[in-house]
Amino acid sequence: MAEATAPKPSSSVKLVLLGEAAVGKSSLVLRFVNNDFQENKEPTIGAAFLTQKCNLPTRTIKFEIWDTAGQERFASLAPMYYRNAQSALVVYDLTKPTSLIKAKHWVAELQRQASPGIVIALVGNKLDLTNESSGSGNALGEDSETDAAEGENDDGDARKVSTAEAKTYAEEEGLLFFETSAKNGTNVTEVFTAIANAIPETSLKGARGPGATQSSANRTEDQSRVNLTGPRDSASKEGCAC
Amino acid sequence: MESLSETKWDVVIEGTGLQHSLLALALSRSDKKILHVDQNEYYGAAEAAFSLQEVDGWVERTKGCSDGAPFRNATLWKADDDESTNSEKLAFSRSYTLTLSPQIIYTKSKLLALLVSSKVYRQLEFQAVGNWWLYNEVDEELLKRLPNGREDIFQDKSIDNRAKRSLMKFLKFIVDFENQTGIWEAYGDSSLQEFLSSQFQLPPRLQLVIAALTLSFDSPDKTTVRWALPRIARHLTSMGIFGPGFSAVVPKWGGGAEIAQVACRAGAVGGGVYVLGTDVENSQTIESTEEEMLEQKFSLSLSNGETVTTRHYINTKDPTASDGIVVSRIIAVISSPLLPIFASSTEGSPLAAVSVVVFPPNSFSQDGVSLTHPVYIMIHSSETGECPVGQCVLYASTRYFENSKVVLEATISKFLEAVKDNVKLLYTLYYEQQQVTATSSLDLAFDDQILDNVEEQWKAVSGYGDDEEHPPFMQFADREGMNADDDNDDGY
Repeated sequence: MAEATAPKPSSSVKLVLLGEAAVGKSSLVLRFVNNDFQENKEPTIGAAFLTQKCNLPTRTIKFEIWDTAGQERFASLAPMYYRNAQSALVVYDLTKPTSLIKAKHWVAELQRQASPGIVIALVGNKLDLTNESSGSGNALGEDSETDAAEGENDDGDARKVSTAEAKTYAEEEGLLFFETSAKNGTNVTEVFTAIANAIPETSLKGARGPGATQSSANRTEDQSRVNLTGPRDSASKEGCAC
Repeated sequence: MESLSETKWDVVIEGTGLQHSLLALALSRSDKKILHVDQNEYYGAAEAAFSLQEVDGWVERTKGCSDGAPFRNATLWKADDDESTNSEKLAFSRSYTLTLSPQIIYTKSKLLALLVSSKVYRQLEFQAVGNWWLYNEVDEELLKRLPNGREDIFQDKSIDNRAKRSLMKFLKFIVDFENQTGIWEAYGDSSLQEFLSSQFQLPPRLQLVIAALTLSFDSPDKTTVRWALPRIARHLTSMGIFGPGFSAVVPKWGGGAEIAQVACRAGAVGGGVYVLGTDVENSQTIESTEEEMLEQKFSLSLSNGETVTTRHYINTKDPTASDGIVVSRIIAVISSPLLPIFASSTEGSPLAAVSVVVFPPNSFSQDGVSLTHPVYIMIHSSETGECPVGQCVLYASTRYFENSKVVLEATISKFLEAVKDNVKLLYTLYYEQQQVTATSSLDLAFDDQILDNVEEQWKAVSGYGDDEEHPPFMQFADREGMNADDDNDDGY
């Protein structure tokens, strides 16, 4: 962090990862947080909880990223994910149509159970398995290729979900939409930046719950936060250790 | 979906209340095969926290429960909201997180140290329990803030100098009471009221102030010295540990329910399997013959039809747990932020998210209603994330007796009159709660005894004998991939 600049307002945002097993949820986060990728990564048991800051021009968003802990099969961790989440990354594998069906299921669950203001990004991962060089995302404008061929091409394109199909769905549901490759990094940072930008400023003032949308002005975040590890009297000065 | 019965479990834990969730956390690095089930579709058991819609469902389910259930007589009331403005009516269901067992955690509690050493504290946010208030109709000022320290006492003009000296003497004693058994041991079973009066000459008003800090459900003349002193000392010595002006904290977003979920999550991350909506219906001990010393000692029939075997079975049933106490509670949502209640009185203290109002016994009497027991109201501001901005959630508790519902309602009315803020009551949930399991606690402050229970269970499941060396309890390194220090990490 640049020492010389005045500190920007910083806010914590809980982001949950949802999607079918093996679509690359943890890989996306690994790419985002460590700019790293592991081939044949083991199913997640443990990545759990990571944090990463995202610097926007006027504020800093600190993502608290909740990975799934690999328990999709009982869906038993879902209730704790939904609670107080301000953003969600719903991931499907664009080479696997059933994973989009699953993603739609998660989106419906989020709309039913999560905070009403939640920012949801639908992400088609594994763009590297198609023969397109760059993916589509709503941040890239409307002119991107929207009618990729269905099914596997002769030239090794493994895409099974067309950009148009997923994008239309995302637009209907009011979701951010990106196609990414965790493997070579395409669009990964863009997803998180887009989410950060989409989080309404009003929901950031210290409260991430649905009740916070009309929070009082000019309050620094974390004014009420008690720091269990820091020096005694710095409890209200977030970020002073930087 | 693979079957649960294919695994030979090391331990099956039943219920995701705070204690059992902390056990899951303690075992999360043990590489044991852990199955954690809960009969409910939500985490937290008696410590659960709900949206309004979830409360509706809970109230319905509670009606069908038998006498042995932890909750009974739940009744809901909602204000008509026809002509009200926005802040004066209930917002949508999920704007609220109402917790069934409101508890504060003293800053000295070992729980906080363990949440830090086990690294899960990063997923929690703690807020200060700021001002404590005493309701008293003798004064013009109905609500009086309890002194936060010596300076406050010196400056308090309502306390005469003699009483101040007595109070100072008591405060000096209490922080070191464990080494001063000569002063109190003989009075251990006497009442707190008598002790404060005879040994420290504290006037009745100040007796009430001291008694308020115990959070006792009994009146000061029924609260024993032996029970009260450690609690008073805990309050006073917790002051200032994590910052000036407060001695206790609460987790944001629903108190104990948050800790339970974060702890269960740690269990899941460690490989534990979580199944909600599933109960252990029947348990049988497996007899092992001499030839084959079976490791699996229990056979459990689950409500989903599966039968699993396990070496250890941690259940919620404990017939010895019930000490007969039943507590009546009202959770109320009101149409005011009650800013004066939360206003900071100590320089540099964090913004208080919770404030405690104590109504001592006999502090008012009205329409034939009088307080035979103390009533405590924990006021949660919207900072807690439990309600929308502009509103507050009140958690009122008292010992259950015949008309405790009427008493709680009257107490809330008295409180709202005293704050003179033209406050509207929007929602109340009344219920009675009894301690039927070892794993829930009616106490208004987190009881560290729970941690001793967890440590015992952790040792038993891990196979650590009493005198054996074993890894320290709940002290974990950061998991791989974690940012070692999330407060110092750089942006990309």
